[in-house]
Amino acid sequence: MKRTLTALIALVAIASWLAAADLKLDVKEHVLSNGMKLLLIPKPGVPRVVCHIYFKVGSINERPGITGLAHIHEHMMFKGTKTVGVSDFAKDQAIDQQIDAVMDKIYREKYWRRDGGDKAKLAQWQKEFDDLVKAEKAYIVKDELDNLYANNGGTGVNASTGGENTGYYVTMPSNKVELQMFIESDRMMNAYFREFYSEKDVIMEERRLSENRPGFFFSEQVNAAFYAASGYHWDTVGWMDDLQKVTKADLIEFHNKYYVPNNAVAIYVGDFDPQALAVMAEKYFGRIPRGPDIEPLRTAEPPQYGEKRMYAESTAPTSLQMMFHAVPAGHPDAAPLQVLASILGGGGGGMRGGFGPDDGEIGQRGGPGFGGGGTGRLNKILVQEKQLAVSVSASSRAQWYVGAFQFSATPRQDKNVTPEDLEKEIWLEIEKVKKDGVTPDELQKAKNRFEAQFIRSLSSSTGLAGSIGRAELNRGWRSIMTDLEDLKKVTSDDIKRVSAKIFVKDNSLTAINRRASGR
Amino acid sequence: MKKTIILALACAFLLTGLGFGQVQKPADIKYPPLTYTPPDPAAFRTAFANGMRGFIQEDHTLPLFTIAAHINFGGLYLPKDKQGLEALMGGALIQGGTKAKEGTAIQERLDFLGGSLGFNVAERTATLTLSVLSKDLDEGLAMFFDVLMNPEFREGPLNLVKVRAIQQLRQANDQPSGVLSREYEKLLYGDHPLTWQAVKKNYDAVTPADLKAVHDQYFFPKNIILSAAGDFAKADLKAKVDKVVSAWKNKDLKLPSLSKTFPQPEPGVYFIQMPTNQGYINIGHLGPEDTNPDYYAVQVMNFILGGGSFSSRITSKVRSTEGLSYNQGSRFSYRWGFPGTFSGYVQTKSSTVGYAISLILNEFNRIRKEPVSDAELATAINYYLESFANSFESASGTMSSFANLEMTGKPMDYYKTYRDKIKAVTKAKVQEVAVKYVHPDKAVIMIVGDWDPCNKGGDKWPGPLDKLGKIHRISLADPMTGEIGK
Repeated sequence: MKRTLTALIALVAIASWLAAADLKLDVKEHVLSNGMKLLLIPKPGVPRVVCHIYFKVGSINERPGITGLAHIHEHMMFKGTKTVGVSDFAKDQAIDQQIDAVMDKIYREKYWRRDGGDKAKLAQWQKEFDDLVKAEKAYIVKDELDNLYANNGGTGVNASTGGENTGYYVTMPSNKVELQMFIESDRMMNAYFREFYSEKDVIMEERRLSENRPGFFFSEQVNAAFYAASGYHWDTVGWMDDLQKVTKADLIEFHNKYYVPNNAVAIYVGDFDPQALAVMAEKYFGRIPRGPDIEPLRTAEPPQYGEKRMYAESTAPTSLQMMFHAVPAGHPDAAPLQVLASILGGGGGGMRGGFGPDDGEIGQRGGPGFGGGGTGRLNKILVQEKQLAVSVSASSRAQWYVGAFQFSATPRQDKNVTPEDLEKEIWLEIEKVKKDGVTPDELQKAKNRFEAQFIRSLSSSTGLAGSIGRAELNRGWRSIMTDLEDLKKVTSDDIKRVSAKIFVKDNSLTAINRRASGR
Repeated sequence: MKKTIILALACAFLLTGLGFGQVQKPADIKYPPLTYTPPDPAAFRTAFANGMRGFIQEDHTLPLFTIAAHINFGGLYLPKDKQGLEALMGGALIQGGTKAKEGTAIQERLDFLGGSLGFNVAERTATLTLSVLSKDLDEGLAMFFDVLMNPEFREGPLNLVKVRAIQQLRQANDQPSGVLSREYEKLLYGDHPLTWQAVKKNYDAVTPADLKAVHDQYFFPKNIILSAAGDFAKADLKAKVDKVVSAWKNKDLKLPSLSKTFPQPEPGVYFIQMPTNQGYINIGHLGPEDTNPDYYAVQVMNFILGGGSFSSRITSKVRSTEGLSYNQGSRFSYRWGFPGTFSGYVQTKSSTVGYAISLILNEFNRIRKEPVSDAELATAINYYLESFANSFESASGTMSSFANLEMTGKPMDYYKTYRDKIKAVTKAKVQEVAVKYVHPDKAVIMIVGDWDPCNKGGDKWPGPLDKLGKIHRISLADPMTGEIGK
């Protein structure tokens, strides 16, 4: 069926100038009639186009029982559709539905009964399941989506799921962006989740990989203790129990709710003609029906009303973490906190000396990078002057619905310094900020660094696509520039005022890990 | 300040030259032709004063300036008792300051300007990289050359670098992936500068004088290649660099002679005990150098075997079909002047360790015995040809690649001829290089994991692991002392 395009395509070209550096960021916008937004950033030169699509959904949209589902869904989007990854859809579907029916019986027997179920029944159904999986293979075209991209020079084919959004990425030759539009629109409207159960196994292996990293369990528990009520309480990967028990029906419900064009933004950065791309997008993404509006997150974090403390032993290095509930992105207090994090814990971002692979060579001796350094206030005082810490950092994370200000420090064990000693030292510095604020020189340095970082971020097409796309889904892509303007307006008094509000014990979690064998 | 332009486009214009038929399958899409000529290194090569070489590209898209010095120096050039010195130099070159300035003053000033300066020492190449806004080019360049030419390695900052180095040493046996890659190389290369590890007493012994001596020996104009890109005029930059380096004396470069003889480890299973819930596995042996004429065919063969993500056999079988792992595949790693390594790799839960290994070994055997399919070959070749332009996306990255070609003595037409050499690979050639460079019978199987459940196996592949070959249990050395524990 042919679709004739009769509508007028309007591209809104918005060039925003950064006063200080006389720079412009040229973004062309186009909204399809189904509500999907296109952001086009032409960058003539090398004939490649970075293509990203972001959906406004992540693990914060889950609930107990389906934690990890946003990420499972992201994996399943690579398993083909009704048209891709299958040779005869009707026959494939018939078997796939039988597979789901058998698995439903297995899940009820195994997970609904407290005794783990009747072993003989389970073995019989497992055999039925194995036979059906074998039979379905005749109709599966293995990993066709990846092969299509590879065959046409698509690189960086990947996706990522976070708390708040999920992105799908590929970089294409300039003449082949149409393939990306076909594949991405096809998997939005025709997704078909075959090989669901083996893919859940893959994801459980992914979780195990994380579990084997020293400190993973500790940090998962710290996060869960800090965020008590909201969807930030669990990690994106989800709890192992939920990964085992989540069902195909959960997945389909999730897909139908969130993978609608009015919940998505597509970004293109590279060497292309924006008008031609907008027309192409009308053709492919424009055919997808609009979905119902999506309610924002309901549960916010309640006030803590009491100090929280955690102690653990794990293979991770002995360390201290202090976390304070702060404000979400876009709140007027976010900029002062970000400037303060830079002043206390920043600096030396590029000063990492060390030991790594030669340019262009993969072979290397595994070795650490321990240049360290840094000119942040905490580093100067605790690492260089008092020599109490191996490293110390401060960071401010203003997320979509919540915020956190965090200190991390590793004590000098050779000098018998403890995490508790560092905790006292950091509180001394916090009190100084509350009382005296910061110096004009510190303030100017932080502002210069933010501005330079911003200009640098424009040089990477991939980085630009990511920051523009994610920003668009929350507060609009222009927020990456208005945030910079807000940072430049911060005063020492702003920092004093916000510090007095945030840095109180009743608003904090202090977590101490001591290195030991075990997990 | 904002400026809004509304571009309204008439449909007639839009329809010109664009097909509006809704294709039903990807194969029906018709793509316009695309030709791409890669940049020629000769157009950017610059000879500076005193024999210093470089590759420079003006790029006025953003007000930025990036410059890197690639120095022919690395840990491989140091004797066994001086291991670790290169790593400390990595931290102390900048932090230790220069004759004129303390390291903290240099760092403070660069941070104030929003710039960055980093130094990295690898096997045979050390790289000092500066990035500043172009308005700060002169000041940044002066600091860059001051650090490169006149480092002072002051004792106080050096001691802080040592503290961090020793902290890292404490954690050297904590990550199963790190343990596996280190021990795999130790097994394949044996007792060789490629595998020597620094211990605490090596770090303790390093003095500022040691670092200065090494700096004197390797840091001079003829032993350095620059790469630079950004918002500047090429002639101006050249004049500025020439002015600084014209007074910098050259030395005679004396590189140690390094053995290229390596042991042949006995094939079998090498097991390292760690209380993890997965086995971390490498299967393989030494591989060719990237200067070998077979390099291109090996790239294509490995793409099909396990290098091409989901388009590769190992990923498709082990992950996508069997659901055994998240991360798996095969790789040929290359290093300048030495054979690289070949490995099939996977991380999988303990009970499926044996099964996953058996599947990877099957794929090693299959690619040796049967020709690959036409479709597999076409996908691999198309991938390399169609994605070729990716290598030149950033000007500073391109200049750095050219500097690397020159440093390692590779032909300057490497990129110009790359696509033709990939295009020339045939099914017969793929099989030929598989037979030549993939040897399941000579492979070592290294596993980092929990012995009992790994050895027990599971339904599809019950243990014991000695079905895969003779078991060698490896005890890890204490990274602080280098002594073997219990």
